[in-house]
Amino acid sequence: MGFDVGFALASVPAILGAIGMTLLVAVASSFGAAALGFCLEIVRRRGGLVGFLVRFLIDFIRATPVLVWLYCLYFILPFHGVRLSALTVGIAGLSLYYSGYLAEVFKAGIDAIARGQQEAARALGLGRLDTVVFVIAPQMLRNIAAPMGNYFVSILKATPYLAVLAVPEMLGAAFDIASDTYRYAEPLTVAGIVFLALALAISQGVRWLEKRLAVSTAR
Amino acid sequence: MNISRRMAAMNLRFQKDPLFMQDPRQTPAVEIDALHKWYGTFHVLKGIDLRVAHGSRIVICGPSGSGKSTLIRCINGLEAYRQGTIRLDGTKLGEDAVQTALARRQTGMVFQNFNLFPHLSVLANCTLALRRVAGMARTEAEALARHYLEKVRIPEQASKYPAQLSGGQQQRVAIARALCMSPRLMLFDEPTSALDPEMIREVLDVMTELAHDGMTMICVTHEMGFAREVADAVVFMDRGAIVERAEPATFFSAPSHPRARDFLGTLLH
Repeated sequence: MGFDVGFALASVPAILGAIGMTLLVAVASSFGAAALGFCLEIVRRRGGLVGFLVRFLIDFIRATPVLVWLYCLYFILPFHGVRLSALTVGIAGLSLYYSGYLAEVFKAGIDAIARGQQEAARALGLGRLDTVVFVIAPQMLRNIAAPMGNYFVSILKATPYLAVLAVPEMLGAAFDIASDTYRYAEPLTVAGIVFLALALAISQGVRWLEKRLAVSTAR
Repeated sequence: MNISRRMAAMNLRFQKDPLFMQDPRQTPAVEIDALHKWYGTFHVLKGIDLRVAHGSRIVICGPSGSGKSTLIRCINGLEAYRQGTIRLDGTKLGEDAVQTALARRQTGMVFQNFNLFPHLSVLANCTLALRRVAGMARTEAEALARHYLEKVRIPEQASKYPAQLSGGQQQRVAIARALCMSPRLMLFDEPTSALDPEMIREVLDVMTELAHDGMTMICVTHEMGFAREVADAVVFMDRGAIVERAEPATFFSAPSHPRARDFLGTLLH
């Protein structure tokens, strides 16, 4: 069975129809993972018992497959009275899973900030939260724009995992066409090309962000 | 224009703090008693006693590793200490969290490596604490910041980023940033040690002017010309202790301690 360009083109609208869901999951999970990962890293840095537990949690998250998290949230939580929609579970699962990785990225970004920055903030009387928000976070972002962007691309590429929860995202839409017609090559290729385009767009966005953030260090 | 009115309003706000109900002139600006500090097993500060009156300028010098930076960092609460007390304007540090924070807010610090925030413009460096700590509105904070940038003679660099400035300019911004918070005490931790020789003068000039304005200052520095010109007293530290405290004229012409003599000798070579 050859590759039918006409059929591929015909499957484009149905696949693009699911691009909204893919983007929603990717963007929401990226924000969720970044926010959660940043909080985890800040708590981990403070040390103590809580910091130790968070450090263990981060290692634990990173050492388990993302599918385990999705299945656990979707199939086990209802037994404890927590009923979440497939979409919520998908976004929560990806956020949780990638927060572990992003916490590590944030760690590197914060470690690279000169110690004197926190001292200057303290000497000026800035509180802990203000120091994190106005001094640490902006400099950290500048240090980690590229690796963080890589993880955003990873999150985008992980959205098809949500097929196991029957979330109608892009690969699911492609697969629906395939199962109806027994033609796999065309819809899967189209879906692959759309993913490629989205990933390239994110990379470009990150490059732009990197340039913008670097302005302040330019001589 | 009405900067002075704004500053008066800010001073009023500070005066409402319980800390300033007492007359500050009756207590020393800084009062350190039997201060000890260890880094692990290394005894860095060995029983420091130091009094600094309001309006006086103290220069601390001594060989590297003598504990002078550690001492000045203890005064600003950047370093913890094991034993002894530090009082700022009569308030004992570490006793009450709120009082300690208020007392520390009255202290400005200038670092050897400037420690400007690289992601913020010069103006934003100066206004950050005004807005977040003193709760000032943006326009008000910017007016005050420009006032101090003018005082350190770089008003035209307000919109630049630290990396676009020379070392001397960066250090002057750091001084302006500290002054914005209306400190009663300024601490300088080797402010010119990271500067190229031709930039040292411009920073020392600003510091000298500040001294003539009556600011209480404690400076860790090896700029002996500066010490001679503006200091009321030179404190010489060695191996974690203050071994000599004297007026500059006496210290430079006839240091009583042999280690102080050796130290001055090395500076001349």
